[in-house]
Amino acid sequence: MLAPAGSPEAVRAVIDAGADAIYVGLKGWSRGGTRPELTWDEVVSAQRTVVEAGRQLHVAINTIPTSRERARLFTFVPSLLALGVRDVIVNDIGILATLHRTFPELRLTASIGCGALNSADVAFFRDLGAHAVVLPGIVNPEEIEPVDGIAIEVMVHMVEEYALLGRCWMPSYNGPKGSVKRTGAGACFRICQQRWEVYDGDHVVDLRLIPSRQISRIADVAAYADAGVAVLKLQGRSLTVEALAPLVARYRSAIDGITTDCEPAALPPMWTVVGR
Amino acid sequence: MTYELNTTIANLRDLRQSELADYGAVYLGDIYCRLYEGNFLERLPDLKEGLRILRDQGKRAYVTTYAAPRNDFLPKVRKMLAAAAEAGANAVEVHNLGVARIAHEEFPQLPLHVGGFANVYTAAGVDVLRELGAVRFTPNYELSLDEIAEVTSESGAAMEILVHGKMPLGVSDYCFLLDYESKWGTDCPTLCQKDLFLKQGDWAMKTVGKGVLSGKDVSMLEHLPRLIAEGHRNFRIETASESAEYRRDVAAVYRAALDRYFAGGDFVDDEWQETLTRHARIGLCNGFYFGKSGMEYAPSQRRQAQWSSF
Repeated sequence: MLAPAGSPEAVRAVIDAGADAIYVGLKGWSRGGTRPELTWDEVVSAQRTVVEAGRQLHVAINTIPTSRERARLFTFVPSLLALGVRDVIVNDIGILATLHRTFPELRLTASIGCGALNSADVAFFRDLGAHAVVLPGIVNPEEIEPVDGIAIEVMVHMVEEYALLGRCWMPSYNGPKGSVKRTGAGACFRICQQRWEVYDGDHVVDLRLIPSRQISRIADVAAYADAGVAVLKLQGRSLTVEALAPLVARYRSAIDGITTDCEPAALPPMWTVVGR
Repeated sequence: MTYELNTTIANLRDLRQSELADYGAVYLGDIYCRLYEGNFLERLPDLKEGLRILRDQGKRAYVTTYAAPRNDFLPKVRKMLAAAAEAGANAVEVHNLGVARIAHEEFPQLPLHVGGFANVYTAAGVDVLRELGAVRFTPNYELSLDEIAEVTSESGAAMEILVHGKMPLGVSDYCFLLDYESKWGTDCPTLCQKDLFLKQGDWAMKTVGKGVLSGKDVSMLEHLPRLIAEGHRNFRIETASESAEYRRDVAAVYRAALDRYFAGGDFVDDEWQETLTRHARIGLCNGFYFGKSGMEYAPSQRRQAQWSSF
């Protein structure tokens, strides 16, 4: 299980709750902008905590930098490696290919924002040098086809917005803040979660939200494991420690239950977006 | 011909109704939905007929592919690519990286054009896809002209630029218009043939079911000199969800403007702008080309000078 952490306190909490690995965003370089990120010093501290606990730290560097920013990005990768961090999550095929070529010791994950949905996508990222690729939890266990030479991660707990992750620029079209995926101020301000008037020609025919839903595949963890999925990933860097720790613990229990054939309980409402 | 003006047509009905004299090439197919009415990508005899019609008219005939295919799409995608190759398609447009890999491995005779949903943001991304046989690239719509120039300069690749029409803003795995089948008494696939917009104050987007488009029409007519000066020669008018009249009239404007410009003339007529405005239900914008919110519109310096002289 790969669990999120948006603060040093969350790193400790998800370890205690049973995460096998923890992913954090490096400040200024992780996609989404508004979600909590860790400073370099906090990443250093998190790596120490994670290693002491016998777990792994993954660092998200999943914005899409400009050429100038890209050069700066590459200068601190050696520092990550020196720290012992080898697992890096990226969001752009060019960055992934360049990092793989330049730093072959990195284990690169193609982020969910890369938009992989099918087995041919998985093979594409394998060929590119990715160690792992993340599929969204909308992909069902029976759709999973293992591909040699690359690990498949599934984001089993996530919000499925109307537009697919990595395939949406509604916020930057309508707002002034810039792209979600670019370095800097870009942020998703949940434009789809506001009420829209639906016009048929010149007539208003409805007032509605653009639909989204909470995906929680906790009941399917055994099926994903049987399908060859190597990593079950949880979304939620923005969750509070109070919400995150029990969520991780519940998935830990479900994963451990694979071997004892227990049926996991449904998730409580606090972890869902019902009513959004 | 020093440049290419192209567009997209989703089905045989729309192709037969369209006056294509001002286009040099057409992409066939709807990238969003397998259930789109008469989608060329699902009806292979239609696709072959469409390619024949285009060839007979002397057009370059391209085929596009789905933006977000799941595994169960792939067998049909392979059949479609085989049909396109057999029927002599001039290129296939790919938005999905897995489909790019399939096309390269199984149909290497088909040149690849990389579509806007493939998320090419960098020259390094161009280099990756070149190794799969890509020869033309639509940069991600979020890139500004300055950033596109940087990618072009670093990679030397041929770009395709959306110069007019509703810009894709997102693709979904499901269609919320299906909620309205019983309420409106209209079934799929007729639902997304309606002219449906989502509005909130000044914000507007067009919905085609699984696809979301800009409410305003991207319009770069006034900025064609810059695009040409920066080396661009492949221009797209996005008309997949538009009427035959829109497809014909907008192309006529851009064809006239480009021909006059390449002949050394002054190339913006007020009546052209009026035509584009008349066809734009919500208004015009420049997309992300000037590094701002995608729905703003910036007149060219020439037009600004005209206005300030009044």
